[in-house]
Amino acid sequence: MEDHEILAKFHAPASRNLAFNQLVRKYQQKVYWHVRKMVIDHADADDLTQDVFVKVWKNLENFRQDAQLFTWIYRIATNECLSFLQSKRRRFFLPLNDVGAELAAKLEADPAVAGNEIELKLQRAILRLPDKQRLVFNLRYYDEMPYEQMAEVTGTSVGALKASYHHAARKIEEYVTKADNPGWSAGEAD
Amino acid sequence: MQMPFRLDEHPRRGPQPLSGPPAGYFEQLPTRIMAQVAAPARRPGLAGLWQAPAYLRTGLASTLLLGTFAVSLWLGGATLAPSTAPTASLDGVPSAQLVEYLTSGETHVDMLDLAELPAHHLGLTKQYLQPSATELSAALDAQPAEEAGLL
Repeated sequence: MEDHEILAKFHAPASRNLAFNQLVRKYQQKVYWHVRKMVIDHADADDLTQDVFVKVWKNLENFRQDAQLFTWIYRIATNECLSFLQSKRRRFFLPLNDVGAELAAKLEADPAVAGNEIELKLQRAILRLPDKQRLVFNLRYYDEMPYEQMAEVTGTSVGALKASYHHAARKIEEYVTKADNPGWSAGEAD
Repeated sequence: MQMPFRLDEHPRRGPQPLSGPPAGYFEQLPTRIMAQVAAPARRPGLAGLWQAPAYLRTGLASTLLLGTFAVSLWLGGATLAPSTAPTASLDGVPSAQLVEYLTSGETHVDMLDLAELPAHHLGLTKQYLQPSATELSAALDAQPAEEAGLL
């Protein structure tokens, strides 16, 4: 179902629940994976995905359609992820790298990554990026999102996004290159 | 010499580099989400209230509290002067008619009962009985104590 049809049905009380159900089915996987790549853990991603759609439900009535529906949903998901990671750090008074270490531990336990050495190094490198830069990297590298759409999702200019992605890519390449060097240990790339 | 790692030469593992969620997760997720959003919709009044701006909710809560306090004060104030209301409504009834009614067999009230009215109703007693203090005391003293055996 097209977005404008979903929105029209949502605005009619009799078909609101049906419309929202269809919206969830249409975007749930994209939202889930966007969130999952940021928080790594499935349980956290599950909670956040639900939170995202609850917020969508509460605010869809006021959606002004000045952006694409999916971009708007992605923006909510992005903010939820960043807030979650920020609150995790604040709550436990952990410095940046300790939360990163926690995410890295979850990453290394992931069966899809654990058995592939180069992939594990790549994922570790991505995790080392600052949250917002990691977000930009994921959107570009994995979701292949156009920079113009990314600008709407993140509220950042296209130029800044391109620069951010370029720096992220270079950092990742340096880290993986060093990690491939025999005798190198995980903490040396700082 | 180690070859430098090039991101654009590394085969991308699709949009999901991590392991998938549990089986059936995406089939069940919409139902779980609908359970969260549809439940509050059954009570549109409360849902609307929660979505109201904070200042409006604060104002409504304050108004409700003050209103409750005012009502309780008013109700409490109404019970503080019980003696005025009954007497005000009796003002228009002739005294003789009052006495006749009160001492009639239906009410089972006699002169002595009227004489034993509390002190703050003494004005009423005097108004329609016109007894003297001596007559009242004598009438009371003449009555047997119901619990004489306890004296």
